[in-house]
Amino acid sequence: MDNTSKNIAIRIKNVTCSYGGKPAVRNASLDVPQNSICAFIGPSGCGKTTLLRSVNRLNDLTEGFALSGSIEINGENIYGNDAASHVEALRRNIGMIFQQPNPLPTGILKNMYMPIKAHYTGEKKYFYEKAVEKLKTAGLYDEIEHRLDRTALSLSGGQQQRLCIARALMLEPKIMLFDEPCSALDPIATYKIEDMLLELKKERTMIIVTHNMEQARRVSDYTAFFYQGEIVEAGRTNDVFFNPKTELLDQYIRGRFS
Amino acid sequence: MPIKQKNHRASDLAGTAYAHISAAIIVCVFAFMLIVILRYGFGALSLRFLIEEPDPSALGASKGGILTPLIGTVVLTLIGILIAFPFALATAIYLGFYAKKGGFNTLVKGAVDILSGVPTVVIALFALLVFTLPQFGFFSVMIEGVEGTNRAYGKSFLVAGITMAIMILPFVIKSMEEALKAVPASYMDASLALGATKWRTIRKVILGAARDGLTTGVILGMGRIVGDTAIVWLTLGGSIRMTGRKPWYAPENWLSTLKNGGSTLTSYIYYASPAGEGNQFDVAFGASLVLIAIILLLNLAATLIGKAGAHKNG
Ligand SMILES: Nc1ncnc2c1ncn2[C@@H]1O[C@H](COP(=O)(O)OP(=O)(O)OP(=O)(O)O)[C@@H](O)[C@H]1O
Ligand SMILES: [Mg+2]
Repeated sequence: MDNTSKNIAIRIKNVTCSYGGKPAVRNASLDVPQNSICAFIGPSGCGKTTLLRSVNRLNDLTEGFALSGSIEINGENIYGNDAASHVEALRRNIGMIFQQPNPLPTGILKNMYMPIKAHYTGEKKYFYEKAVEKLKTAGLYDEIEHRLDRTALSLSGGQQQRLCIARALMLEPKIMLFDEPCSALDPIATYKIEDMLLELKKERTMIIVTHNMEQARRVSDYTAFFYQGEIVEAGRTNDVFFNPKTELLDQYIRGRFS
Repeated sequence: MPIKQKNHRASDLAGTAYAHISAAIIVCVFAFMLIVILRYGFGALSLRFLIEEPDPSALGASKGGILTPLIGTVVLTLIGILIAFPFALATAIYLGFYAKKGGFNTLVKGAVDILSGVPTVVIALFALLVFTLPQFGFFSVMIEGVEGTNRAYGKSFLVAGITMAIMILPFVIKSMEEALKAVPASYMDASLALGATKWRTIRKVILGAARDGLTTGVILGMGRIVGDTAIVWLTLGGSIRMTGRKPWYAPENWLSTLKNGGSTLTSYIYYASPAGEGNQFDVAFGASLVLIAIILLLNLAATLIGKAGAHKNG
């Protein structure tokens, strides 16, 4: 990957994670350049989610979780300061989308306001306009224009996931993390989200965990291959997929194991 | 033939009969109780019965109604739940979201478990010991006019309400803990990932999502207070009337009413029964009917809320 640290948005350095002493990620190092998409691939249980959730410190609340090494965002080690306010500010600047769409059981607009109302006060009109703008970005506005007050749970799975993306965008994050965002969705919903990812990439850095090789190839610029808690190979997506250096990755890409 | 097929016929028949007879006996006992309660109770029921104060001086005859016991039950239930609610909710939140495994957490859980097993009469006895201390005189009244005593009376609506709160705490805590646990972890993730503080997440997201379950916990707690007798008898006193300044319902006398004793439907039933002062099955069953109606209503409310919640999330 690029060596000029100036363009590196996320720098993961020698990160080791464990749950209650049991290691889940071992000595992982990875650089994600600005405005690119990095895909995490690898078999189940190899630590992709664990490392992803370490980038916005969402694992902090998991009992028994421990991390060593450092993760730098724009040059600053996010684990260098444990103050709650620091961690919350970090999360505010990083959008996260989960495997299961997780809109809250309340109105669609209320979901959109939730992140922004927690941190800012302002005119309702401003909030509304911003929500509409983000729903448009997520390609959802036209579909639900007339039922913005309905409960978010009345939306389809794909719509819920796009709502979650729109909700995350309310805070204008420069970094976004996606944990298998399409695994619960049908191909058309998946396609819509992939489209959006490519659009968002223009001014954002993203990491996406996926079990879908095609998806990794379609959307990502860089790919990191995980195996049993270690990053075995990482590099430009094309190199990783067409010139795998290790036997393991070669077999994984050909679907010999998953 | 070395092996022979076993004949299960007989034991099967016996088992079936046993199950059927047991069920029938339960139905009979229940039907008999219902008939007796309704037969005696309905005779006593009338609007006057509900809105008149009891008149214990009238011998034998079923004079007077159950107004003050009914008010007593309502007041005691409200005091108990109002005190228990904030403590129970805070404890449930602590156990669910802040407690680390082991240590203090285990201690709290153990205390809750043990407290839930202590008979209410023992809790009442303990409350009496504490609230007769002169330092706690504010909650009842001081005994006056007896040479050499410096103790509080230790019986009042306030004392009984606090005692009821302690009695229901473990049940309310447990059911609230369950309600909080039932909230999907993904809600917590959603809110935290957007940078909300943990406390805001709990307050805005978790409590909202758990509201139905929390309400059910409150209602179950109220049901326990309504039905309890031992605590009433020991910490509210055996007087069937309000013992504070008269008239008890005048706003300027409310504090006095709360600092003095009275009765509830349960203690009234005891009082009116042959075991107590009266020998008035009809009024006792009339009050029982009202008591059962209140408990059924509370249970119905809990069920409806549970159903509404299941419907909403489903
Ligand atoms: N909260 C937790 N407590 C204890 N162990 C955990 C926890 N979360 C994950 N693990 C363990 O850490 C290891 C890595 O899990 P992780 O969820 O990061 O894998 P993954 O690559 O995301 O898998 P998948 O593709 O199935 O989502 C696994 O062995 C898992 O059992
Ligand atoms: Mg995962």
